[in-house]
Amino acid sequence: MQLHTGLASVFPRSEALVAATRDFDRGRTTADALEELYARTETEVLALEERLGFDTRTAGYLRWQDLFRPFAETWDGFTVGPVTRWFQTNTFFRRPVLHTPPERRPGEFAARLPKPLTGAGAATAKVLLPGPYTFAGLLDNRSGEPDSALIHRIGRLLAEEVKELRGKGYRTFQFQEPLLADRPPEGVAAESVLAAYQSVAHQLSGGTSIVWTYHGDGAAVAPLLARLSVGVVGVDLAETDVAKLPIALEHKGIGLGVVDPRTTLVEEAGEVARIVRSVRDRLHPSSIWLSNGAPIDLLPWEPATRKLHVLPAARQLLAGPDGGGRS
Amino acid sequence: MSELPLFPMQEIGSLMKPRWQLLGQRGEPLDARALDELEIWDKRLRLSEGPMAATVKSLRAGRSREAGAEAVRDLGALFALRYFESVGLDRVYDGEARRIEMYEHAIRQMRGFQFQGHVRSFDNKYYLKAAGTGEIRLDRPYHLEEFDFVRRHARATPKIPITGAYTLADWSYNEYYLSRTSGWKDRATRRSAQREFVVEIARKALRPTIAALVAAGARVIQIDEPAAGTHPDEADLVVEGFNAATDGIDAEFSMHICYSDYRDLYPALLEAKRCRQWAWEFANRDFEDRDGYAILNLLNEYGDPREVGLGVLDVHRDEVESPELVADRIRRTVRILGDPRRLWINPDCGLRTRSLDVAYAKLEAMAKGVQLARKEFAPSHR
Repeated sequence: MQLHTGLASVFPRSEALVAATRDFDRGRTTADALEELYARTETEVLALEERLGFDTRTAGYLRWQDLFRPFAETWDGFTVGPVTRWFQTNTFFRRPVLHTPPERRPGEFAARLPKPLTGAGAATAKVLLPGPYTFAGLLDNRSGEPDSALIHRIGRLLAEEVKELRGKGYRTFQFQEPLLADRPPEGVAAESVLAAYQSVAHQLSGGTSIVWTYHGDGAAVAPLLARLSVGVVGVDLAETDVAKLPIALEHKGIGLGVVDPRTTLVEEAGEVARIVRSVRDRLHPSSIWLSNGAPIDLLPWEPATRKLHVLPAARQLLAGPDGGGRS
Repeated sequence: MSELPLFPMQEIGSLMKPRWQLLGQRGEPLDARALDELEIWDKRLRLSEGPMAATVKSLRAGRSREAGAEAVRDLGALFALRYFESVGLDRVYDGEARRIEMYEHAIRQMRGFQFQGHVRSFDNKYYLKAAGTGEIRLDRPYHLEEFDFVRRHARATPKIPITGAYTLADWSYNEYYLSRTSGWKDRATRRSAQREFVVEIARKALRPTIAALVAAGARVIQIDEPAAGTHPDEADLVVEGFNAATDGIDAEFSMHICYSDYRDLYPALLEAKRCRQWAWEFANRDFEDRDGYAILNLLNEYGDPREVGLGVLDVHRDEVESPELVADRIRRTVRILGDPRRLWINPDCGLRTRSLDVAYAKLEAMAKGVQLARKEFAPSHR
C-alpha cells in the first residue's frame, strides 16, 4: 500500500499577502508589487510542501478568490454573482451565475494554475478543480438546462480541461466535492455524477483522479463514492467515522482528511497513525492519501503551517516494515 | 411602552465611522474630504453647538493631535447619537464608534484568547481570528465607558448592542475546551466542547458585563448573534449562551440575527425565555417575486408571541428603499402577525456597510414609511 501526503485545498495567504491584497484594493500598492509578493509566497508554500515531504505540490493556489472563480471567469456562459456562505463556515464565495449552457475557452483555465506548477513542476503538481456535482449544485442555474444534465455537462467540460492539462504533463487531479457529503445526490442526479466522472476517466490517460469530500459525513455517500470512476476518494475525518466506511470501498485509494482546520489544536501523530492502520487493515486500500479534510485556509497561515507537521510525523510512525504495527 | 408611538423605530448597531473621526483619532489633520464631511454633518446635526464644540473646533483648525484621540472618539459617538436621533429613532446608540468591530473588540476585553492571524472571508476581505487557549476571564466588564457617554448624551432611550456568546465562540477556534477531551475529535466531541466554550464565554464574560451595564442604568440590551444560523444543529447552543448571559438579570433583551434560515432555529429559540424581541434581517431577501417577510409565519406556527424588530432596509445595497416599500413591508408583516403593536422598525443589520449619506437617506425613507404605516393603522394605535 502506498502512502501519500499533501495539501487538499487552497492554502491560506500569509499575513504579508493579506496586507498587500488589502492595500492593493485601497490603491496603496501597485499590481507589480502585489504580483512579486504572490510569486514569493507561492515559492514559500512550495518550499513548505518540500520540507514536509509532500508527494504532490500545489504552491497554495493563493491567487484563486474561490474554488469556482477560475472557471466562472474563463468559461463562457457565466457571470460572477453575490457573496454566498460557504457551507457551515464563516467564509463566503461569489456564487457563479450561469446564463447559458457553459462552454470552455481552451487554455484559459490552465493559465490560472500557479506558475511554479507549470513546466517541470507539472509532474508533481496536484491540480485542484471543483467537482461537477458541487459546481452544478452551488451555482445559480438560469441557463434553462436541467440540473442533472448540467452536472454531466460540467463533467465533460472538466474532462476537456483534464485532457488539455495531461498534454502539458499534469498527472494528479483533485475534484473538490463538499456537496456530495453535505447533500448526497439521489436518482438521476447520482447517475449524472457517475457519468460526469466517467467522462473524466476517459481523458485521464494514466493520470490519477481524486474526489475529495468534506463538510459532511463521507460514510453517508460512500456507496456512491465506491462506484465513481476515480482512483481515490477522500473523506473529512472530522465529519466521518472511519469505522462506518463501507467495505464497498475495499481496494480503492482512500483519502483521509486528518488535519481539521476548524481548530488550531494540533492533531496527534499517534492518533493519526492508529486511524490509518485501522483503514488499512479493514479496507485494504490500494493507496492512502493523508491530508487536511476541510480547506486548510479556514486557518491563518501560521497555525495552518503548524498543524501540517502532523502529516510527516504520522508518516514516520507508519514507515515500519508492517506499517508501524497493527491497528 | 405607553409613551412609544405605533411602530417605534430603532437602529441595529454599527455605523460607518466618519473620515474625520478616523483621521482625527490617529492625530492626523483633516484633509479636504474629511473637512467637507464634517461641515456637512455639522450643519445637519449642530455638533459645534453641543458639548463637543471644542473638539469640532480643533479638528477644523487642523489640530487633531491637540484634540486628542479620546475626545475625537467621543465626538464620533455623539455624532452617531445625533445622526440617529435626527431621523426620529426611539432607541439609539453610538454607532459602535469606539469598537474595532463586533468580534475583535469583544475578544480583546477577555483573557483566555490568543489571536492567530487573518482568515479570508471572501475575495480580499479578511478577519482576525482568535483561539480560545485558556480559561475565559474578564479583568473588568466592558462597554461601560461607551455606555456612560451614551447615557449622559442620548436624548432617546439607549439600546446597547453586545456580541453574543455563540457568535464569539463560533468565530473563534476552540482549542482549550477541545484539548481537555481525549481521543479523536469527532463531531460529537467537538459539539460538547463547543457547548462548554459558549457557556463559559456567556457566564464569565457576557453576564458580568451585562450585569454591570444594568447596574449602571442600562435597560435595553440587544444580543447580536449573526452566527446563529451557521450550524443549524447548534441552535440550542445559541439559546444556551443567551440564557447563561442573561441569567437573573432584569432588563429588556432582544436578539439580532441576520442572513440565516430562521426556520432552522426553531423550536430551539422558544427556550430563550428572557428574550422579548427578535430583531431580524428581512429586506435583503425581499424581492418582487419572493416575499422576504413570509418567513414570519414561523412565529405563528410555533405560537411565539414575541415582538419583532422588522428589518426594512437592505444594508447591502445602495439603492434607497421608497417610503411606500417600507410601508408595504410593515403592512405585509401586520397581515401575518396580526397585532401591529408587536412591531419595531429597523434596518436589517448595522449600517456600517453603507456610506453615511446612503445610510441616512435609507433611515429617512424608513421614517417616512413608518409615518405612512401609522396613518394606515391609526385605529390600533398603542
